[in-house]
Amino acid sequence: MPDVTPRRLVWWLVRAYPPRFRQDVGLGLVDAIQDRMDARRAAGATAFGVWTPAILDTLRNAPPEWMRAALDRTPRQPDSIAHQPRNTGREARGRTMIDRLLQDIRYALRLWRRKPGFAFVAILTLALGVGANTAMFTIVNAVLLRPLPYHNADRIVSVWGRTSAFPRGLLTYREFEESAKLPQTFESVALWLPQSVNITGTDEPQRLVGTFVTASFFEVLGLRAERGRLFTNEESAPGTVKPVAVITHTTWQRRFNGDPGAIGATMIVNGVPLTVIGVLQPPFDPDRAPSDGYYISTDLFIPLAQFPTPNGLAAAGPVMLGVARLAPGATVARAASDLDLIQKRLAADGSQPAASGPSFTAASGRTLFVEPAQESVVGTSRPALMLLFAAVGVVLLIACVNVSQLLLARAVDRDREIALRAALGASRGAVTRQLTVEALLLAFVASIVGLGLGRFAIAGLAWLRPPASVPIPTDLPFDAVVLLFNGAVALAVALVCGLAPAVRAARPDLARTLQAGFRRASGTGRRTRDTFMVVEMAMSVALVALSALLIQSLLAVQQAPLGFDASNVFTLQFRLPQAKYAKPEDIARFFKATIENVRAVPGVQSAALVRAVPFSGNGGTVAYNVEGQPQPDPASAPQALFHLVTPDYFKTMRIPILEGRDFTDRDDLTTPLVAVVNETFARRVFPDEDAIGKHITTPQTKGPITIVGVVGDAKHYTSTEPQRAQLYAAHYQVPLIFSSLVARTNVAPMSITDSVRKAIWAVDKDQPVWSIYSLETAVDRTQGQSRFLALLLGIFASVALLLAGVGIYGVTAYGVAQRTHEIGIRLALGASGERVLREIVGRGARLTLIAVAIGLAVAVLMGRLATAVLFGVKPTDPAALAGAAAILALVSLAATYLPARRAARVDPVLALAEE
Amino acid sequence: MTLRPVEFHILLALAAEERHGYALLQEVASLTEGELQLEPGTLYRALHRMLKDGWVVESARRPAADVDDERRRYYRLAPLGRRIAAAEAERLHRLVTIARAHRLLARA
Repeated sequence: MPDVTPRRLVWWLVRAYPPRFRQDVGLGLVDAIQDRMDARRAAGATAFGVWTPAILDTLRNAPPEWMRAALDRTPRQPDSIAHQPRNTGREARGRTMIDRLLQDIRYALRLWRRKPGFAFVAILTLALGVGANTAMFTIVNAVLLRPLPYHNADRIVSVWGRTSAFPRGLLTYREFEESAKLPQTFESVALWLPQSVNITGTDEPQRLVGTFVTASFFEVLGLRAERGRLFTNEESAPGTVKPVAVITHTTWQRRFNGDPGAIGATMIVNGVPLTVIGVLQPPFDPDRAPSDGYYISTDLFIPLAQFPTPNGLAAAGPVMLGVARLAPGATVARAASDLDLIQKRLAADGSQPAASGPSFTAASGRTLFVEPAQESVVGTSRPALMLLFAAVGVVLLIACVNVSQLLLARAVDRDREIALRAALGASRGAVTRQLTVEALLLAFVASIVGLGLGRFAIAGLAWLRPPASVPIPTDLPFDAVVLLFNGAVALAVALVCGLAPAVRAARPDLARTLQAGFRRASGTGRRTRDTFMVVEMAMSVALVALSALLIQSLLAVQQAPLGFDASNVFTLQFRLPQAKYAKPEDIARFFKATIENVRAVPGVQSAALVRAVPFSGNGGTVAYNVEGQPQPDPASAPQALFHLVTPDYFKTMRIPILEGRDFTDRDDLTTPLVAVVNETFARRVFPDEDAIGKHITTPQTKGPITIVGVVGDAKHYTSTEPQRAQLYAAHYQVPLIFSSLVARTNVAPMSITDSVRKAIWAVDKDQPVWSIYSLETAVDRTQGQSRFLALLLGIFASVALLLAGVGIYGVTAYGVAQRTHEIGIRLALGASGERVLREIVGRGARLTLIAVAIGLAVAVLMGRLATAVLFGVKPTDPAALAGAAAILALVSLAATYLPARRAARVDPVLALAEE
Repeated sequence: MTLRPVEFHILLALAAEERHGYALLQEVASLTEGELQLEPGTLYRALHRMLKDGWVVESARRPAADVDDERRRYYRLAPLGRRIAAAEAERLHRLVTIARAHRLLARA
């Protein structure tokens, strides 16, 4: 420890003072601090005891000195100006402008200090509005605006096979091959498909998500290996079976503890040993990106050649997702027209595989469709996000109007002062400028506070557990775009808040204001205030109506009949390894044994297998033809949802059997094909006949299928979808490696999880199972968006109503206070208090009527924006609109009645004596 | 208008002779028998104001070289500062006289 305090360190302390101050007395201050510190040290103080008082002293004195510097109006000392030779005219003018600006800011701050309540309420109101908007924009920016975090992501496009049933469907291998021959359009094209894979050779069989890809997949997305290497074309092309795999960084950490020896290790995937040849370098943290990274939301990558399909990929029909990178300069439109040509050629030369897979439809009915990848990844989020964004915008508008009213009311109070200033020579511009500066200052402070509040708002949103369509990535950038938006909002806020008072002040009637007591001159602001009130009420009506629509929609979603009973149903999914279950008989044997074991689990009432559990997101359609009816050309063959189920499925799901019979164990590989259809199917296809005993054919099944039963309609993907025709086939007659279990329990469904798993492992100890949940949860999840939007809009509408109520009350109360004198005279001349009350309330009611008319129109427009998220209710729903109007009318009545009653009780003597 | 105690003390401390900053701190402390322990920041903020208002000026003179540290800034009372200090002392004196007359203060 040196005896003398280093001067340089002390200088750092003194830097906390304003430059001007330092210039004047900085050296002296440094000396004094240093002397004081040396003295303390000499007296035996520790370094802490020496520095702490010095730092505290600086903290106490530097900030007020900055304030002083900002407020200081005295021009620079002549001698210091003399040191600045470039004191040109322009600089002097610049300084006077800044001086004036500073003066205006000081003036505004003084006003706020005098009325801190006003400043607090105004800033808080605006900050809440700005905060909500910043929060929503931060999310919109992260999800919708920010490009996907891949290299040159704007050139990445999704390629879809489009049919009437599925606008975004899968591609065939032929389509991929042809697309890859267009170097002018696509730099590279890839197929990919994430699918659950079974990992064995470990203690318990496990399920991972493996993505089957062409080698080009990594090129398209611009991905690199962190260790080892990625696939070569030879390794991925169908027909060449080179058993390799690339793992993601997360899998490397989780399964191999980041061991470099992972390269070269073997993983048994779907029963096939694969050699790990590389670790993928993640381009970003997939856990923090929207849609969990989408393309790389997987555990390992497997060459397309390993994809489990019975007769090889080329014959498999459309089973793969398509993604491509546009060549530099190529456009989406060009890609679309090129793909169109390919599709026409393929349809004409018949080289498309005939058909297979439940989601396949006749080749000639297909078109190829290309869109920016960003749209595929986040497009579904747009309606909900834009609706919320619009709603917070409206809330901010109401907040602005409220603050504007406050400013206006105060401007009226300041009429005399403003008029006096104008009369004393302040230009109108100066007065307007002062008011504008005040509004800007308010908006500025509010936007800073709002930035902070916005962070809380996002945390709050995340806490409300938003649905998948409102993704809240944890990686929310606090970037220039957000700051820019915040600044723009602040400017808009200042404009809306400050415009009316400033315009009003710019044309004051000087003589009148100065002659009259300022109270009586206030009638001039009335029209502006009325306009504001109408705007505010109209916006509130719109938000209340919109939230009513969403609540109705939520109720409709929750009450929509599902067609099955989701309570107490346990489900799980599995995929048998193709190699081990090569023959249909093997699969059927596994099915039967599994069901028998699960039925024996205590708590299970009945159990069945179904290929795609309702509300699981799985499912497919089939084109069918009816024997004895005219055969339409394949392109327009009717489609039905296609289900494969074992006996007891309808009993387990409580889907009523309306006619005929359920499948039985005898409907197996040795007996003729049978099917069950739903009511909609029967009514649509056989409107005047009995469906039982009719024969249909499908491309997927050999020979005619006899309809043996008709069951009730059931929803499959969401409770809001239109009811579709459904065709159930016997799972034992069409055994496929992927299936799911449903079990009705008389205990809590999830409580049987372990016993069911053991029951399945008793059949095959290497078979992993996944997606274990109760059916009720799955149904509930699909209603998440409706619930979330109804809740948020409810909150926004309440805030809007509250603000509007406060605003109306404030304006009316202010108006009454302004007119105390006049009301006093009228009461003295014999008008009854009741009449005064009626007049004030009546005036409020007229404004409310106008506001309701405008507001309902706005609500209908916003409702249009919301149609994508509305179910079972139209934007023009009379009940919602009328309800919103009634609620606002009530609020407005209450908010005008209270001040009006006060007016009616004015004591004429007191009111006149005030003069 | 009354003077702030800090300012009055600084004026008093400079009345006898010109001083540099730290000496001022020590003098104020000794004048008040250790009751007013100013920190450098507080002192210099007041000093800065008083310099700008012309109560105090930076001294051009230096004490003999052997007792002086070259870098030190010395301050002394300007005529305006002296008049203000005198006026304040006069005001306080009158108050003290009144206090004595009312037997609030024992005769010295």
